[in-house]
Amino acid sequence: MINPFQTRFGAIFWNEVRTNSKRVAPYALMVLFSANAILWWGWGPAVQRGWATNSDFYISRNMGGFSIVLGLPIFTAVIMGDPVIRDFKLGVVTLIFSRPISRATYLLGKFFGNFFVLVCCQSAFAFTLFFLQAVPFKGMVVLPWRALPYFKHFLFTVVISHLILAAIYFTVGTLTRNAKAVYGLAALFYPIYIAGALLMRPFSIWWKVFLDPMGFGARNSFEPVEPWHQTAEFLNQHTVSYSSLLIANRGWMICLSAVCLFVLYLKFSITERPTKAREFSWLSLSTAGEGVYASERIDLLQTDSTFVRPRMEAASEPWPRVTIAHETFSHNLNKLIAALGIEFLLLRAERSLIVLLPLALVLSILDVAFFRVVPAVSYSATYAVKTANAMLLFLIGMSVFYTGEAMHRDRELRIEPVIWATPAPNHVLLLSKFLATLVLTLSFITLTGVVAITTQLIRRHPIEIQPYLFTYSIILIPGVVFLAAFSVMLNVLLRNKYLVYATTTGIGGALFYFYSIGSNHWSYNPTLYHLWNYANLTGGNLTTILARRFYWLVLAACCLLLAHLCYPRKSTGRSHASGGLPQRV
Amino acid sequence: MFRQSGSLTPNRLLIMLEIRKLSKTYPGGIQALKGISLEVPAGMFGLLGPNGAGKTTLMKILATLLEPDSGTAEMNGFDLIIDQHRTRKMLGYLPQEFGLYPTLTAVQMLDYFAKLKGVAHKKERGFLIDALLEKVNLSSARNQRLGGFSGGMRQRLGIAQALIGEPELIVVDEPTAGLDPEERVRFHNLLAETASAKAVVILSTHIVSDVANLCSNMAIIRGGSILATSTPRQALAELNESVWTATVPREQAPALKSHLRTISSQTVDGQVRLRVISKAERPSEEFTPVTPTLEDFYLNLVTQS
Repeated sequence: MINPFQTRFGAIFWNEVRTNSKRVAPYALMVLFSANAILWWGWGPAVQRGWATNSDFYISRNMGGFSIVLGLPIFTAVIMGDPVIRDFKLGVVTLIFSRPISRATYLLGKFFGNFFVLVCCQSAFAFTLFFLQAVPFKGMVVLPWRALPYFKHFLFTVVISHLILAAIYFTVGTLTRNAKAVYGLAALFYPIYIAGALLMRPFSIWWKVFLDPMGFGARNSFEPVEPWHQTAEFLNQHTVSYSSLLIANRGWMICLSAVCLFVLYLKFSITERPTKAREFSWLSLSTAGEGVYASERIDLLQTDSTFVRPRMEAASEPWPRVTIAHETFSHNLNKLIAALGIEFLLLRAERSLIVLLPLALVLSILDVAFFRVVPAVSYSATYAVKTANAMLLFLIGMSVFYTGEAMHRDRELRIEPVIWATPAPNHVLLLSKFLATLVLTLSFITLTGVVAITTQLIRRHPIEIQPYLFTYSIILIPGVVFLAAFSVMLNVLLRNKYLVYATTTGIGGALFYFYSIGSNHWSYNPTLYHLWNYANLTGGNLTTILARRFYWLVLAACCLLLAHLCYPRKSTGRSHASGGLPQRV
Repeated sequence: MFRQSGSLTPNRLLIMLEIRKLSKTYPGGIQALKGISLEVPAGMFGLLGPNGAGKTTLMKILATLLEPDSGTAEMNGFDLIIDQHRTRKMLGYLPQEFGLYPTLTAVQMLDYFAKLKGVAHKKERGFLIDALLEKVNLSSARNQRLGGFSGGMRQRLGIAQALIGEPELIVVDEPTAGLDPEERVRFHNLLAETASAKAVVILSTHIVSDVANLCSNMAIIRGGSILATSTPRQALAELNESVWTATVPREQAPALKSHLRTISSQTVDGQVRLRVISKAERPSEEFTPVTPTLEDFYLNLVTQS
């Protein structure tokens, strides 16, 4: 009997699993999904409404929500979009196909290897919910221990929904060999899905069954349970059963995935794509091809026969005259602006931003866009406070992550020695990274503010700009200034971005734990988490708040100063070890 | 005649860079430089040595990227190691292993380096970049993303960035490693054209023909020590009428090798082709004299040490 793990399909499948195990993305997704599960379990509607957190109804509801909202299609695209593109980029594909491997084996191995990884990541959500049964909060309703509903709803709602998305993204990525096309498609998922749902309204249920990848159309058409009008006891005892329509939808989605992969099989080829011809002439660089360098020793030396030493007149051909300026403040400012410009260009090419920004934006305005807004001081104040609180986690993450990426990018791309050999002062190199992250986070804050105001406009709530300006500039901006500066300092001192990520996660986790148990003071709370409300910003406490924010700005300046003093600008053995480059002698 | 390290160059006035007793030991205990001294005149200077000889360490020290444990490196009266900012102002550096931002274009990259080097005037910068791209034959690829550049194109862009700001000291570390023969010749032409009487160009390499093609002065380094400094012509004169070759049966080779100074031994069609040095007389009847090459000089020194 053939052991499936020893087949060619098995080899490709496990190679994909192994390759993904070396990437950061799957682990990041697992952590994110587990964190979501904890959030929905402990702070979701179940606790407030007395619903059992492990009832069939609530598990099914969570899986549905996870499938469409938090298991974002863009995450599916991250895993499924570029497995074949990677092989083409690395030039591995020709090596693979020099073995007796069929296209079908290769494509199926690639697809299922990556889909397996995706399902493993998503299962972190289900497993976390499953294990949380053992540690209920005080007052939380929990039914006797169960396992099957988690598996059943996860398979039916999450896995099959993402199977069709995975097949589409994999097909598009492989055929176009362009990961951006896949990310673009994933980013357009919601507009397309919502538009499709609206367009299909007048049509019969069968259309919804056949065209809804997430199965919600079919599900909502038969779902008799409207949770908000039912008692907790009823919902806790309710068993979710799948109608034949929904089963037909799921079956159809599996068939569609197979069709998608079959189309890919028919169209896939490993031949090189015709690219636009480079207008590149192979003319000799020597301007003295017609002349011979006057040297009596040339015949004695073993020189390349094709080499002709240029005449000295050619060698001393004058360059355009340039004025070199180094020392003045304005010239250093110009260097800083140049470095900042490059940082922006590089940030623009960051793929993670395509994923992170829309997600952060959606989650930051989720509360004010889809739930009832009760004005405390004013509508705008409530919108500003809620969005500021919702943005906090993303701002911390962005400050730490993008500072780390910027600080280590030069070393990873091996451009550091060239830049370090230029007469750019240390503060130019450091501040450009710091300011780039800062401007990125400020842009995110501004964008969220604009979206929140637009939401207010759509919901016809009266708009004032001042609460946004007050909240964002007093509470958020000093916080992100400190976080970016602190991150710069840590990156300089630790010289390893993963160590910095681990350290900041540890520090952040510990601090938020202390805040949550009541040990919360402004002197070690840079974001003023749970230490302010809008009334503080408009009342007599404003001076106190401003003084506390100034304290954090001073600390930020100290961090930058320390980073400047400790910035090594030397390629020591240690730096190379951390950067993964061998130390050459 | 070749000179041992530390000896004076005939024309003392030409010396621009003086390296004195430079030592460097890495934290792991590897002694990369063992108190080397060198006098480097203006023009192309070749630093020839096998892998692991200490060339890159020396290049990094001159490029202010590494601090030596002891020693000095002076150029026109100031210490390159102490006054690092001033060094960087007059330095053009092309490391052996370097990267480029793959999403930027050639023009964006050069513009960035020009700004960092202090070329503040926009119009001047534009002319300079145009001239540099023309010089390195990348004008037609000026708006192409660097991620799509071939190895040769990257090296040429590397030398273009090193030439920004008319540097007085140009440090080029193994620039032709990994290039195909055509690109290598193209790169040699480029380097030869950029060398001027005003600048010191230090070319570190383990490829003998790089030095033979380009350099008017050279030094041979091995195990962190300078074995010799010379001009290629002096080096060849040293070996004149001393290099012999013979193709002998395989079984004879060990005996010949044992009593002759063998600089190379190759197996060809089941026989062994020996290349030996014998200054006094013909080693044996099988041997015929050959014109010495710089490679003979290099291999003789390296195998001897």
